[in-house]
Amino acid sequence: MVGIMASYSRERLEGLASSAKSATELPPKLQRLRNLRRDLQRDEPVFPTELLPHLFDLLSDQFGAVRKFVAEILGEIGLKYVELLPEIVPILIKSLEDETPAVARQVISCGADLFRSTLEKVAVQGLHSSELNDLLESSWTWMIKVKDEICSVAFKQGNSGVKLCAMKFVEGLILLYTPHEGSEADFNITILRGGHPVLNIGDLSIEASQKLGLLLDQLRHPAAKSLNSSTIVVLINSLSSVARKRPAYCGRILPVLLSLDPLSFLKGVHGAAANLALKTVFLSYLKCTHPAAAPWKDRLIGALKEIEGGCRAGKAKDIFYKTNGSIQDKDSTEDTKVSVDDNPLCASSDVAESNFGRKRSGSEYNIDLNGDALNGKRARITPSVSEESTDGLNGNDGGSLPRVAATSTGPSNSRGVSDTGPVQQLVDMFGTLVAQGEKAIGSLEILIKSISADLLTDVVMANMHNIPPNGSSYADGTNELVMNMGIVGSDAQIKYPPSFVAAVLSLSTAFPPIAALINPRIPKTENEDEEVFAVHVDQQMFPAEDAVLETGLLASSDASFPENEDDSNVFPPNVHYIKNIESGIPGLVSSAQLDDSTMNVETATKNQNASFSGNLLVDAIPSMSVDKSEEFSPKAAATDSTSLVLSTATSVASAPQFVLPKISAPVVDLSDEEKDSLQKLVFLRIVEAYKQISMSGGSQLRFSLLAHLGVEFPSELDPWKILQEHVLSDYLNHEGHELTVRVLYRLYGEAEAEQDFFSSTTAASAYESFLLTVAEALRDSFPPSDKSLSKLLGDSPHLPKSVLKLLESFCCPGSGEEVQKDLQNGDRVTQGLSAVWSLILMRPGIRSDCLKIALQSAVHHLEEIRMKAIRLVANKLYSISFITQQIEEFAKNSLFSVVSCISSERGDAETRIDDCNKKDLDLKSPPNKPQPVISGMDMPSEATSSASLSEAQRCLSLYFALCTKKHSLFVHVFSIYKNASDPVKQAIHLQIPILVRTMGSSSELLKIIGDPPSGSENLLMQVLQTLTEGPTPSSELVLTIRKLFDTRIKDVEILFPILPFLPRDDVLRIFPHMVNLPMEKFQVALSRVLQGSSQSGPVLSPSEVLIAIHSIDPARDGIPLKQVTDACNTCFAQRQTFTQQVLASVLNQLVQQIPLPMLFMRTVLQAIGAFPALSDFILEILSRLVSKQIWKYPKLWVGFLKCVQTTQPQSYKVLLQLPSPQLGNALTKISALRAPLTAHASQPEIQSSLPRSTLVVLGLVPDSQGTQTSHVQANETQTSREQQQQQASESQQTSQSEQFSLPLSPSKTDHQEPSQVVASQSQNSPIGTGRSEISQSQNSPIGTGGSEMSQSQNSPIVTGLSEMSQSQSSPVGMGRSETSQSQSSPVGTGQSEMGQSVQVSDSSAPAPMSHTRTSDSQASSQTQRDDDEKTENTATSENEVTKSEKSKESSEEEEE
Amino acid sequence: HNRRENYRFVRRGGGWGIAMRFRYAMVCSSNQNRSMEAHALLKRQGLDVASYGTGSHVKLPGPSLREPNVYDFGTPYKKMFDELRRKDPELYKRNGILQMLKRNLSVKLAPQRWQDNAGDGVFDVVMTFEEKVFDSVLEDLNNREQSLMKAILVMNLEVKDNHEEAAIGGRLALELCQEIEGNETWEDTIDDIVAGFEKQHRRKLVFSISFY
Repeated sequence: MVGIMASYSRERLEGLASSAKSATELPPKLQRLRNLRRDLQRDEPVFPTELLPHLFDLLSDQFGAVRKFVAEILGEIGLKYVELLPEIVPILIKSLEDETPAVARQVISCGADLFRSTLEKVAVQGLHSSELNDLLESSWTWMIKVKDEICSVAFKQGNSGVKLCAMKFVEGLILLYTPHEGSEADFNITILRGGHPVLNIGDLSIEASQKLGLLLDQLRHPAAKSLNSSTIVVLINSLSSVARKRPAYCGRILPVLLSLDPLSFLKGVHGAAANLALKTVFLSYLKCTHPAAAPWKDRLIGALKEIEGGCRAGKAKDIFYKTNGSIQDKDSTEDTKVSVDDNPLCASSDVAESNFGRKRSGSEYNIDLNGDALNGKRARITPSVSEESTDGLNGNDGGSLPRVAATSTGPSNSRGVSDTGPVQQLVDMFGTLVAQGEKAIGSLEILIKSISADLLTDVVMANMHNIPPNGSSYADGTNELVMNMGIVGSDAQIKYPPSFVAAVLSLSTAFPPIAALINPRIPKTENEDEEVFAVHVDQQMFPAEDAVLETGLLASSDASFPENEDDSNVFPPNVHYIKNIESGIPGLVSSAQLDDSTMNVETATKNQNASFSGNLLVDAIPSMSVDKSEEFSPKAAATDSTSLVLSTATSVASAPQFVLPKISAPVVDLSDEEKDSLQKLVFLRIVEAYKQISMSGGSQLRFSLLAHLGVEFPSELDPWKILQEHVLSDYLNHEGHELTVRVLYRLYGEAEAEQDFFSSTTAASAYESFLLTVAEALRDSFPPSDKSLSKLLGDSPHLPKSVLKLLESFCCPGSGEEVQKDLQNGDRVTQGLSAVWSLILMRPGIRSDCLKIALQSAVHHLEEIRMKAIRLVANKLYSISFITQQIEEFAKNSLFSVVSCISSERGDAETRIDDCNKKDLDLKSPPNKPQPVISGMDMPSEATSSASLSEAQRCLSLYFALCTKKHSLFVHVFSIYKNASDPVKQAIHLQIPILVRTMGSSSELLKIIGDPPSGSENLLMQVLQTLTEGPTPSSELVLTIRKLFDTRIKDVEILFPILPFLPRDDVLRIFPHMVNLPMEKFQVALSRVLQGSSQSGPVLSPSEVLIAIHSIDPARDGIPLKQVTDACNTCFAQRQTFTQQVLASVLNQLVQQIPLPMLFMRTVLQAIGAFPALSDFILEILSRLVSKQIWKYPKLWVGFLKCVQTTQPQSYKVLLQLPSPQLGNALTKISALRAPLTAHASQPEIQSSLPRSTLVVLGLVPDSQGTQTSHVQANETQTSREQQQQQASESQQTSQSEQFSLPLSPSKTDHQEPSQVVASQSQNSPIGTGRSEISQSQNSPIGTGGSEMSQSQNSPIVTGLSEMSQSQSSPVGMGRSETSQSQSSPVGTGQSEMGQSVQVSDSSAPAPMSHTRTSDSQASSQTQRDDDEKTENTATSENEVTKSEKSKESSEEEEE
Repeated sequence: HNRRENYRFVRRGGGWGIAMRFRYAMVCSSNQNRSMEAHALLKRQGLDVASYGTGSHVKLPGPSLREPNVYDFGTPYKKMFDELRRKDPELYKRNGILQMLKRNLSVKLAPQRWQDNAGDGVFDVVMTFEEKVFDSVLEDLNNREQSLMKAILVMNLEVKDNHEEAAIGGRLALELCQEIEGNETWEDTIDDIVAGFEKQHRRKLVFSISFY
């Protein structure tokens, strides 16, 4: 059966092997090999040797994984079938150089196994026989080859993964070749002692030693430099393993390791990894108990110190202590810890202790965390038992306590004798171990065992100094002493054996201080520094303690005992604390104190203890306070002793020798419930003790205590709730703020301390809920004006999200109805915002969160809230440099979002706003929920737009506020304006006046105005208007706007705001543009021009305006005539401004223009209509028009006739002045005139003055042909007569005009007007003597252009003659006319020129009607005239030339 | 142990080759937060990973600092989840414990203790997240019989024990392991990998090498 199985299996195996070979893919290959291996692992007596070739073939497979696996299988085969080794091993050796490291490593691994097993077999066989069998011997030979091969790899230069493995092999080799002590099951070379045919133990040792040397050499300086850190780490680890397992080699290995300074030759990661390895190694040596390791401890400590580099001197020792502690930790610490945790009595720890522990746990020695945890727990263990132990001690062995004290404080005391050195360190070590209590027992044992007898003797001797004189019999071993002391004769022995021992041990925690108290003159040791330090820390935390000391404790101690002051550092704060509690408990103090005063040290202590344990109150104080007091009861006792010494003034010197008497105190065993209720009672008591405490000044301590208890208490007691209720019941009187902050700091410290994740999580959540509860309660119970809340937020160490949310709910209250309900809402917002403000200033950590809140509030949908927030943001926050950018970004986003979100499309408005709210960055203020509700189908559109408007305002306000702070931001308002929807534009326009007024015309604003984005014209207008509303705009502003008008914006409206401030010329220049505007706008412009600015007065006078209007040439200026007439009408409509005088003056000026303005007659007609009183003046104008041959301007001629008709019958006189052809024409056109005119002219006196031709026209005299023929040129008859007539009438009219002008210029001081009139006439008169038509060309012989030609057309013959004659006579004529007319116009022709020129240029000339004064300009023009008179002749002619040119041009145009 | 058939592509002489996948172990103290975060991440990325804790018990925060919920290793995450949810859903949700347990129970059944699971087989790389754990792992490895001659890389990356840091630490661990995964052997490249990692992330990474 077996045979069948075997053969089956054999075939199968072969099959597997060959199929593995033939497979091309890796997975099936491996799968088959795995099956093969599984089959091979069955127990088969004989190996199928035919399989081996297959396997050897596979060892050169293409896949490394296959080769590795085959090597592994071969190794297993070799182990099992030794006889095959000679076959297998050579193949394996070859594979040692496989290109895949994994294969080589596998070979080494197999080699190690094979070597070891072969060695064992060889050794064992050699024991029984003097010869080995051949097979084994050859196998051994092969194994030695393998070994040598691997060793050569291990000692090869360079780095590789294979080498690591090989080095490990060497380590194993050394261990195999060297004897070891102990009863390990492993092979031990010592069995070879009896002599062996092949193996010689001495030789093997030599080889091991040599290999070790080779290993060590690699670590020595030059070689080590070329190694990578993996190699170094493995070397270190291997060597250390060797040293640990073969301590005899310590002497060789440790010096090399100790002198290895990785940092000196390795950089970065190398150094770090090597350092870590070294550290681990050193630490493990410190744990090593072998005597060979002991001498190295100092150096190891030193080296560790160095590795840590610059750490505190005490560190290394700490490590050692903790390491010792952790020997036991490794296996049991965790359990111990849990059990410690489970013990409610141990649930408390002293503040100082836990701080201390935490401080140390923060060190790099995380390896010591276990130990640290122990340190922390240690304190917690102590209290519960120390009471018992004290009792026990007191009951049984009064002398034991001081002895323990002396023993454990040995280090401190012995310092006077031998300062440092190994002995002292050991003493310290013992001290610390003893201090660790129960858990350190193991370590203590190890320590004691590991110390050589001599050294131990030294330690004991050194410690003798610490033992009181009468306690000399305890030098036989600290450990034992402590154990005995606790147990001997104690009543409680049976009840508490294990914990009791621990308790006794733990007592020693407090010893150093006690020792110092007892023997104050002994200087403190380094070892104590930590304690002292801890106390210092503590005192800093509770500054009030000094006060407590004074009030509560020994008021006189400082005074009478100088050393007491020194020692006060060493006093644990708890001493005061106890006293404080005592003083807080009525009755307790008094009894204790009374006794104290008369008792000696011993009884005092007794009483002290008795009063604690016996007093119901103390019993009622649950573990916490009992722990506290009891934990330090020895100290308390010592303190009391000092105080008693003080009071009794005896035996100060002998104090160290006091002996504690037996005190029997009841031991109360409490159930968990009872403990809980006691704890709660205590807590409540402390909570309620605020009155007494606030009077006695210990509130700081109370706060700390409460906070601490809260952390320590089980949560069923809900200490936080109790505290919260207390705090909130009367926040101010209960010092709620201080207490809350203290609690928060405690919890925060708990949460932040790098403890385990779990306690920190719990503390964080307790922190959050405490802060939130208090904050909410403060909100609800205090008015918003109260500062408590913001003070709390400011003082809290950390503000979790929920609290920020609360703050946010202040600043950005949610839905509308809530807002309505809370009447204090506004104040609430103020409160929130001011809190946010101060947080931003003081809390960089949450700055951006707070800023976010403020910014959200600044885009709140309620304006009141928004404005408050904006004020804060813009006025206070924006100027803070580190958040300016953020604020700006936010405001900008909000500004831009408004453009993209709010649409003017009515239908879409709602959804858009909602979208807008959604994507509104994170400014997500609670959207106005009512909106979507209303937004039904039938929602009125104005509601929509108003919603949009308010939405726009919501988003824009902040930005506008920022603009006032930083004007350059304003440009974005311009840039969004174009695409903004109506509501947005509306919102912008609403804001602009305030905004711009605030900004003023700053340079930034001017820059923006100077280059406005297209599409922002309306906005620009408003800005400009606003800017110019106030005082005179700056010249820069005016300049900017003008430049803008000239270059960019041709719309003259842009100039409106600054019209009053523009120079007159500029206004005149742009006047046509103004006229071209719609009526309303023109009116605005007109009023601005007329009104002017308050400083400089009107820009233009009304008459100037009218003249400007008349000087517009529609064709030239490209302005429709209609606009011009409308402008005129506008002026006439304003009769207050455009008065009679104004009109008269205007007409007077206009009539002198050549050519006459196109609208002149229209204006005259309007003037008559508007001011009938002007009719006389008009008539005079008319007659002047006659003299200007008005009939030559067809359009005006019509108007003239109309005017004449309007003003009849007065106008008859004017009509009659017309030359007869024109008169005829007139009468033809307006036939209605004929009859009345004839009637008028037929009056004898008039008729006599009329020329005959006129009479002919009127039909008053018959026509005379003779006369008529002489005038060929004229179409009409009697032309010459008419002309003669005209001449006469003109001269007549001269006098008339003088008369007419009288009403206008009653005062003769002003001659200008009449003289002008005269002048203009006199100008004509000489010409008129001849032919008036020609007279014009006469004066301008050069300028005879088209007009001359046209005239000559009419009179081809005569013209030449008349021209000739006239050109001759022209100078004469002039002279003549001058003389002839000198009576009326002394100034003459020249003057009329002047007058005309003045008319145009003299802007400041008063209205011609202001007769009462003579203006300067007039005067100057007068003098000018005088000057000009000299050059009159030439000047006149020249002027005439230009004028006639002009007139011709204009007449041509008219004709066109 | 139940080792899956898996291979990885590795850099080999400028080209690529196939090698067996590395096995990774993520270790923290309670096998709840840091190691499980990393475990979940590495698993999701297809790495062969297990996770452990080195503490003596699994401790989860309780209602107060001194009342942790203490479980034995091996207690299913589901059980803890149900229990804590029953106790105080509000509290355990707030401190993120429930979410964490939920994540964990989707990764594996129960927390495992490193020291008690030597039978899980050979790992190539162990990542720890606390020096104490690192030391525990090394010590445990040293205490085992080292007969396989198989090197194991133990690395420590200090990660604070809270949710946020654990997430960061998990990502770093993943990155590191992926880097290692891409090399045929870590023995020859670990120095560079660690140096590169430290430089890139400015975090200290210590490692040691032990043997099975």
